[in-house]
Amino acid sequence: MGKEFILSLMVIIPLGTAFVISLFGKYLRNFCDKAIMVSSFLLLALSLYCRFLLTNTAGTLVYKVGGWNPPFGICMVLDGLSCFMLVTVNIVAFLIALYSLKYMEQYTDKPKFFTLFSLMVCGMNGVILTGDIFNLFVFVEIASIASYALVAFGTEAEELEASFKYAIMGSIASIFIFIGIALLYGFTSTLNMADMAKILTVKDSFRLVPFVAVLFLMGFGIKAALVPFHAWLADAHPSAPASISAMLSGLLIKTLGVYSLVRIFFNVFNAGQVHTVYLKVFMFLGALSIIVGVILAISQWDLKRLLAYHSVSQVGYIILGIGLGTPLGILGGLYHLFNHSIFKSLLFLNSGAVDYSAGTRDLKETGGLAKVMPVTYGTSLFASMSIAGVPPFNGFFSKFLIILACAQAGHIGYGICAVIGSILTLSSFMKVQKFVFLGELKEKFKKVKEVPFSMQISMIILAVVCLLGGLMFVSPLKFFLQDAVNVVTGGMSYSNAVLGGGK
Amino acid sequence: MMFKVDPLSIFIAAGVIFFSIATFIYSFGFMREHPRRRGYYFYLILTSLVSLATALTNNLILFAGLWGFLGLTLYLLININGEIAVPAAKKTLIIIGGTDALMLLGIAMVYSLSGSWQMDKIKLDFTTAPSIFAYIFILCAAFAKAGAMPFHTWVPDCAQNSPGPVAAFLPASLDKLLGIYLIVRLTFGMFKMSAGLSLIFMVLGAVTILSAVMMALVQHDLKRLLGYHAVSQVGYMILGLASANPIGIAGALFHMANNAIYKSCLFFCAANVEKKAGSQDLDKLGGLAKFMPVTYISALIASLAISGVPPFNGFFSKWMIYQGVIIKAREVGPAAGSVVLICLVAAMFGSALTLASFVKLLHAVFLGVLPSSLENKKIEEKGMGMKIVPLFLALLCLLSGIFAYKIPFKYLFVGAELKYPGIWNASLASLLIGLGLFIGLVIFRLKQIRPVFRQEQAYVGGEPAPRDETRVSGTQFYETIKQFGPLKGIYLRAEAGVFDIYEQGKNLTFAIGKFLQYLHNGVLPTYLVWTLLGMLGLFLVLVR
Repeated sequence: MGKEFILSLMVIIPLGTAFVISLFGKYLRNFCDKAIMVSSFLLLALSLYCRFLLTNTAGTLVYKVGGWNPPFGICMVLDGLSCFMLVTVNIVAFLIALYSLKYMEQYTDKPKFFTLFSLMVCGMNGVILTGDIFNLFVFVEIASIASYALVAFGTEAEELEASFKYAIMGSIASIFIFIGIALLYGFTSTLNMADMAKILTVKDSFRLVPFVAVLFLMGFGIKAALVPFHAWLADAHPSAPASISAMLSGLLIKTLGVYSLVRIFFNVFNAGQVHTVYLKVFMFLGALSIIVGVILAISQWDLKRLLAYHSVSQVGYIILGIGLGTPLGILGGLYHLFNHSIFKSLLFLNSGAVDYSAGTRDLKETGGLAKVMPVTYGTSLFASMSIAGVPPFNGFFSKFLIILACAQAGHIGYGICAVIGSILTLSSFMKVQKFVFLGELKEKFKKVKEVPFSMQISMIILAVVCLLGGLMFVSPLKFFLQDAVNVVTGGMSYSNAVLGGGK
Repeated sequence: MMFKVDPLSIFIAAGVIFFSIATFIYSFGFMREHPRRRGYYFYLILTSLVSLATALTNNLILFAGLWGFLGLTLYLLININGEIAVPAAKKTLIIIGGTDALMLLGIAMVYSLSGSWQMDKIKLDFTTAPSIFAYIFILCAAFAKAGAMPFHTWVPDCAQNSPGPVAAFLPASLDKLLGIYLIVRLTFGMFKMSAGLSLIFMVLGAVTILSAVMMALVQHDLKRLLGYHAVSQVGYMILGLASANPIGIAGALFHMANNAIYKSCLFFCAANVEKKAGSQDLDKLGGLAKFMPVTYISALIASLAISGVPPFNGFFSKWMIYQGVIIKAREVGPAAGSVVLICLVAAMFGSALTLASFVKLLHAVFLGVLPSSLENKKIEEKGMGMKIVPLFLALLCLLSGIFAYKIPFKYLFVGAELKYPGIWNASLASLLIGLGLFIGLVIFRLKQIRPVFRQEQAYVGGEPAPRDETRVSGTQFYETIKQFGPLKGIYLRAEAGVFDIYEQGKNLTFAIGKFLQYLHNGVLPTYLVWTLLGMLGLFLVLVR
């Protein structure tokens, strides 16, 4: 067993944690707190170590389960893109776990919560690392089912309804994804993505690949909440506990949706170089999501619902950037993916803090909370400015890269869509600031206290990342993004690297 | 190269430093004991430094970043004033930040057209559609910052609700400097002014001057009135730039500097009044000249300067702009020339209206009768900074007006020695004006020559009439203009926000939002139908 074994640990640790917590969490006091902190910190450390490993091996790391070589056995692949996603997921998951320790005390069953939480992390890490398309489906299901349960965690009528809708939509997505995989398997006789990519280049597929592409676009489109497949999101994300909303909006839609789309379309179907028609669809759906999402968001009065619609709009930016297909556009898209994970989780944690302290998240009721909750106000200002694309916060740089890439590629119309989205995003976060934190402090909120320290600290760390995120695209840190971009633009080089056994 | 220094950027940077220092000195008095002064000074320093860097940078990305950051600091500074300022701060950041996003697209397009981030290396013209759009996108940001129409609507709101020194610092001075700076850099540096654009600028400038000053005439709020004048004055600068000849451009830049001087002076005076009298409502003020002589003198001089009365600086710069426009009118031929001349007349008329509006302001605040609400209040001027800064700025208005001829405009971006077609001998004229004033004063002082006015208390039915009822407040001076035929409808609509790009954008967005919300009815089958329709669409596109 070489150092590639770490890759399997990324799945084994959260799975084990889930198992252990569900077994002992109820009987040992504080056990689940300790277990979740240890495991998520370990995952964070390992994911950073993975990044370090990748720099040293300069290429792709392949873990062959059971020692079977790739086309025949199952493999796990660590390359620039998956490493990028892995680090993003585990940073945010760690901070959300930290935040949840106190936040989840409002709910009764913390061990169950952390069990599901770990399962979700396990699913996401699995999706990112697997090199096998059927395993991808399995991990997508693990994460999705955990998230259905988590959305219903409050077990109120509204939450159950949202969870039900989410489960139906999610299952439909899974079915179509599954059919797509089955058709591809029937055609190529392999489940290994790298092998599949190689076969598809030589074997003429008639209309099979476009057909499967539509199924995937719809299936993963539902997971990623692209317009017109987005409707479940506005119910599901606000209903979950705030830390889970942060997880869903910050990570889940990107890992299950965007990452899978990118991996399959760019590395398996080679959309970047050969089948550029898919890119046009990406761009169109992206631009549509930007506009529809943001207009829906600006007219909401429920803080979390407003944030949820912004996720639709921001995923639109990511897909638009990646769909441009130019290295710059992909860089912008992936960079925005990272940034959005950070600031959107932060915003949801803020909304959780408001809910925790003031007991409401209705914009018409809150007001003036800046005076009593300075940390929440400060961090939410950072996050709002980031999502609105105000310099010097991270969102500015990624949006600028996307807009620049639109202009470079000659898609001025899409550039204008991005700008309109940006203006309306700014407006709606001005609304949030005005109605939640500024204005007159109502009598009943005079005694409101700032949230506990462990919740504050995770918000502060995320806010600092928002501010420092701008440094990511300057040279010393650029490799982190650049490696991911190289994998996406490389297209078929993924297949060669994996089948070559990695180096 | 990130930074580049040329005369224009030095000029702007010097202005930034000067007004930052003035605002700081003033704030020591004004913000004393303010609960949030620590944040205030922090944002102020940040704004000064970032503005300085914005003026000096040569790199477009850096420029966009710094420029956008200024919107954020402005938002935070307005918010210092607490609850009343929140809507204004929101509107300001949305307009500034929104145009900023447009500018990003413009900059991206400029880069893809020219292949350079260096502002001094970019040379584009208006031959292709992308370059025209890129120009317009960047220009929007410059217009919003400077407060020119149609992106001006944040200025009056911001002026009314932000703390006095902030109004003097940002909308009145720093944002003007930077906005005009960007217009100049863009129009005469990165692009080449064309004849058609020049004409559009002319008309925009004239419309800005007239409509903003008409709005200023009918305001009841001291700082809001000044805010409308801040918009109106931008019109002159744009008019000067539109002439595209050395004297016009130099006039516009000089007017920008002058405007910053007298407008910040006026805002400082307004802040003094607000602080000491406790109100900025013109109806509740009056007769303050006795209690606040320094503020009165400064406001008087600045008012004369902004109205373009010789020998103050506002006159000289307007005079330069007019000359530039006249030269332009001669160049362009009869048809376009007549449009130019109409704009010129509009500008001059605007100047007269400015004077009228300041007569109202001076009467309502400093002259007239003290309202009874202020009778028991102890109003006095206190705090050195709050007296010195306005007075110094007023003095500067006078000096820069008299010695304007000595200013070496040729180093200021223009390049050539200016030739003034019109004749104006500043020193002689100032001397004559001074002499006239002196003789007037002598006559006023000589009791024998002066006619004797009798002052009596007003009575109603044998009782002394309450002073507030007989008092003539300046706000009534031009109220009738609102009733005047065609203007009536325009005023009504303007006050309802029909001409406000922000309000209209809001309405449009919420209308579309309402429709989309109607589609999101929360029923699962509806959502499934869309999903299937979406899939059908994808099939049609991809599988053919």
